[in-house]
Parts: sequence; C-alpha cells; structure tokens
Amino acid sequence: MPIEELLARIINITLQGLTMGMLFFLIAAGLSLIFGLMDVLNFAHGSLFMVGAYVALTTFWLLGGYPLSAIPAQQLGVLGFNTAPVLVADTNLRFLSAVIVGTMTGLLVGTLVERGLIRPLYKRPIFQILLTLGLVYVIAEVVKLIWGPAPLGMAKPALLTGTVDILGRAFPIYNIFIILLGCVVMVVVYAILRRTRIGIIIRAGVEDREMVQALGINVQRVFTGVFALGAGLAALGGAAAVPFLGGMAPEYGMAFQLSAFVVVVIGGMGSFPGAFVGALLVGLARAFADYQLSPIIAQGIVVGMMALVLLVRPQGLLGRKKEGGH
Amino acid sequence: MNWLRSLLKDNWGWFVVVALLAVLPAWLNKFELGLLIQVFVLAVFALSYDLLMGYSGILSFGHALFFGLGAYTVALLLRGVNNTRVFGLTLNIAPLPLPVVLVVVMVIGAAIGAFLQVVSLRVKGVYFAMITLAFAEMTFILSASTELRPLTGGDEGLHGIPIPDAISPTTERTTFYFLALGFMILMYILARRLVNSPTGKVLAAIRENEARAAAIGYNVFVYKLVILMISGMLAALCGALYIMYFRSATPDLLGVGRTIDALLMTIIGGIGTLAGPMLGAAVQRLASHTLADLPAFEKSWPLLLGIGYILLVLFFPYGIVGTWRMRRSQVIRQVRRLVGR
Repeated sequence: MPIEELLARIINITLQGLTMGMLFFLIAAGLSLIFGLMDVLNFAHGSLFMVGAYVALTTFWLLGGYPLSAIPAQQLGVLGFNTAPVLVADTNLRFLSAVIVGTMTGLLVGTLVERGLIRPLYKRPIFQILLTLGLVYVIAEVVKLIWGPAPLGMAKPALLTGTVDILGRAFPIYNIFIILLGCVVMVVVYAILRRTRIGIIIRAGVEDREMVQALGINVQRVFTGVFALGAGLAALGGAAAVPFLGGMAPEYGMAFQLSAFVVVVIGGMGSFPGAFVGALLVGLARAFADYQLSPIIAQGIVVGMMALVLLVRPQGLLGRKKEGGH
Repeated sequence: MNWLRSLLKDNWGWFVVVALLAVLPAWLNKFELGLLIQVFVLAVFALSYDLLMGYSGILSFGHALFFGLGAYTVALLLRGVNNTRVFGLTLNIAPLPLPVVLVVVMVIGAAIGAFLQVVSLRVKGVYFAMITLAFAEMTFILSASTELRPLTGGDEGLHGIPIPDAISPTTERTTFYFLALGFMILMYILARRLVNSPTGKVLAAIRENEARAAAIGYNVFVYKLVILMISGMLAALCGALYIMYFRSATPDLLGVGRTIDALLMTIIGGIGTLAGPMLGAAVQRLASHTLADLPAFEKSWPLLLGIGYILLVLFFPYGIVGTWRMRRSQVIRQVRRLVGR
C-alpha cells in the first residue's frame, strides 16, 4: 500500500474516532462533573442523551410539517420525501431549532430530576443510584410508548451536508461539525470552570463539599445547576448525534451510558479535562478497532481498557485521589 | 428433643408456609403451578441479590450477568454445540448430562463473581456498581450480536432446549414444582446459615465500616470474594432453573431489566432481611401476572413497573419485612388499643 494512501486512511479513521469521541465527551462531561460535585453517579445520563435526540428529531420533522406518526425511520437526503406540507423549508433553521429544543429539554428534565427525585435522597446515597437506575428503565419505556421501538432518523441540514476532500478521501462535513461542537463545548465549559466565580465554587465543591457549604454558599442551587448543565450537554450530544448515527433507538441510551462510564473511569471521575481525554481515547480506540476487527470486538476492547485502568490506576488518568472521608 | 422443640418454636411460620406450599399442588392447575415455579426461582435470585446488597453492602448492577450466563450455559451444554464457527474458531461440544451441566453452571457463576471482585480490587461502592453494569451490558450486547449468532442465536436466542423427561416442566410439572420448591428451601437455609455464621458477621462488619473491619485484621478482599462467588453461584443456578422451565434463552435474560427485577424484588420485600426479597419475588411476579393481563395495562405495564420501583425507592425504602420489623411494636400497640386491652 502506498504511503499516501495509508496516511489518508489513518487520518480518515482518526477523524471518525474523534467524532465518536466528541459525542462520548458530551455525555461523560456531565456525568463526571455531577459525580465529582455531588457524589451522585447518574445511571440515567445516557437516557438524557436519548431524550435530547428524540425531542430534537421530533422538532425537526414537526417543523417540516410531518405529523408525529410519520417520522421517517432512516436518515434521508436533505429534503427527504416532500409529501408533507412544509412549514419551515430551510433545513438549517429546522436543524438549529431542533438542537436548541433538544438541549433545552435536557436542561429542564435535568432540573426536574434533581429537584424532584435526587434531592429527597441526599441522606440515603445508595438509594440515589438505585433511583437513577430505575429512571433508565422508565425513560426507555416512555420513549418506546411515544416513539415506538424502531429507530427514527433526522436529515442533515443543507449547510452540513456533503463531504470534504482530505488527502483524496471524502470525509462528511457533518462529522467535522460534531468535532468542532465538542471542542467549543470543551473550551466554553472549561473557561466557565476556570474563570468565573460559579466555576470556582464548582471546583471547590468537587474538592470539598462541606467546606464550601461552611463558607456560606448555597450548595443546593449549585447542585441543581450542575445537574441541569450536565443533562443539557448530554441532550445536546444526543441531538447532534442523530444524523451522524443515522438514527436513534431506545437501546442507544444504555449503549452510550456504557461508553460514558468507560470514559469517566479512564479519564478520572470528577475531572473535566479527564473526561475530554478519556472520550477521545475511547473514540479513537473504537474507530481503529472497528476498522481492523469488528464493532463488537471494538466494544469489548474498550471495556477491557476500563478494566486495565481500574487495576493499574484506579483514580483514572487525570483523576486525583480524594483525600479524607467519602 | 430440646433442639427440635426450639427449632419448631423459632421457625413455626416457616414450617406452616412450607407445608402449605407442599400440599398446594393438589388444588392448583398446571398454569398456576408454573407461576409458582417462577416465583420460587426468582425468590432465590432475589435472595442471592440480598446476600450482596443487604448483608455485605456490595452494590452490584450486573446481577443479570450471573442469571443470563447460567441460562445460556444450560442452553448450550444441554443442546451441545455442533461445528459452530465463531470468530474463526470451530466449536464442538457434545451434549452433557444435566447434573454435569449444573456443576458447570455453578463453577461459571462463582468464576464470574471472582472475576468481578478481582477487576474491581482497588475500587468500591458506586464504582463497583458501574463496573458490574458495564460487564453485564457488554455480555448482553455480545449475546445479541451477529458475530455470535451461530452460537447464541443472536437476538432471537435459543429455543427448544432438551430437558430430561423425568423432570420435564411440560409433562411432569408437579415434579418440577417440588424440584423448584426444594431448591428454594435449601438455598434459603444455606443463605440463613451463611449470614449467621462468623463469615456473615464479618461481612456485616465490612458493610458497616470497611476501613475498621480491615484495621481489625480481616482480609476484606477475601471475604468479599467469597460472598460474590456464593451469590454468583446462586444467581447462575437460578438462571439455569429458569431456563429449564421456559426452555428458551433470549438476550433479555442478560439485560438491565433483569437486574432491576432483582432490585425491585429486594426493595419490595426489604433489603437485608432474606425472607423479604423472597416475599418480594412473590409479590412482584404475581402482581405482574395479574395486572399485566388487564387490557388497561397491557402496553404500559413495564413503564408502570418502573414507576412503581421509583416510588418504592422514594417512599418505601425498607420494604414490607423491613418496615414490619421497624414498626412491629407500634402496630401491635395500635391493635391492642383498638381491641381495648
């Protein structure tokens, strides 16, 4: 194989892996922050990803004039079939509103879950995670009742359709959009954590919650905020993922939850940069193993990576050991 | 004869229940017997979960792994594997007799328990829950994958598993009923013996304060290893019996729903009470059966079950037996006041 072709192929797979990695990052970031700050391991985080996706794709098609029952199953061309009266013709606008509505729903559901379900259980931490595991089940069932068990798709917006040429190989523009989206979220959230007062409170809370409380800060409100933010990020990831994945199905919530767990274990629980690094590692590992072997083996390898990190460096690559109690 | 008298005195409730269950087949039809068989098997499944969560404070979200793998082991070994190609390997396994298969199931259950404990050697608590869930889901995905389809039947699973005629659940259902009942009684006695043994006391100490138990000099790792292996063995046996009754293995035996079932049964009955989770299994299975058939609930039953679970976690965390034990004196006083004594 000529060296250029090999290089082109490697770059292509790398970009594919980065795309996957960014989606993992959007879920894992919230999962990790929530655990770091409030010691709640949210097993339903992947479900919020799924909720974001379903709400987004529904918004997309409803704006296009399709009724809920006629949402196309597979990823279609830009315009799909034009049998329905089109309310908003511009797919870019439809896509943007879909992503925004999906993210907002994630924020809202996150707030409600923290306020209504998690908060009463801070005195019984075990029951918190028992509860989030129940939510996984409930959300999947609700999704099945509303949208049915078959996968549903969403078209790419006109602006992000097509491919670019990278060293003679076509690469979808949409994937580049996801990579950029992930980077933007990384930079924005990192800046919030590092440069703002609320960020300082969150980081301090991760280090020592009682001390922050003792200093007279309303930790409850920060908890709700971080939980909602994490849920919103996951929903954003879900909304952006649908055109890339080709569709969304009720099982995807658990599948992405699993990847997010692997990511936070590898990156380090509670570490935001760790979530980023871990997500990219897992994404790349998945992409290369997918290409060389098979998707199932790729998933197996990733779970194996997690087991290895747990044995060698249980606090994760970028995590720090928590001192004192807990 | 003194020990016999005290045995009867302490456990008369149990003897009544067992006697009742033993004579019940005389009045029940085949279908109701089948329902009770499921209750017995699931009761042991819940019991094995309670040994971990209630008595040792180990939170596992991968209990379906034991159950499902036990089930698939029975399915594969009773049928035998004939010239099946998986991942480029050709597998050939002759069908094995049932007793051998059950021993293999126990070994596999214990081995997975040991594996999970070794992998999570340096972490605990929610990490353990997460890791067990990851491995269970991984196995679930594997069992339904196209790569393993020749072996596991993919998402359709394996059907028509040959069971020896003498205990066939279709023709000899009463025999199977007593088999399941005997299994449940034996496992309950074993579990109770275990939690009251010195090992059980050490496990309780680890649950209450792991650091202190280690400081006293107990090897926490070994104790956790032992209980995980025992619990895994029990759960795998339940999966084996379950599949001998239903005669088909499908991926949902490995799914997270199965783990939630175990949690639900344990919480309904009361965490850390042994008898509670078994009662919970009966409540859950019988309620599911009677309510899921009503036309109003047909489609939304799994959802209602999930919501019920969340409500239990929020408002009834100690379960039937747990709440009863806490409130017993209060209730008795109330009743006495009502009766006027």
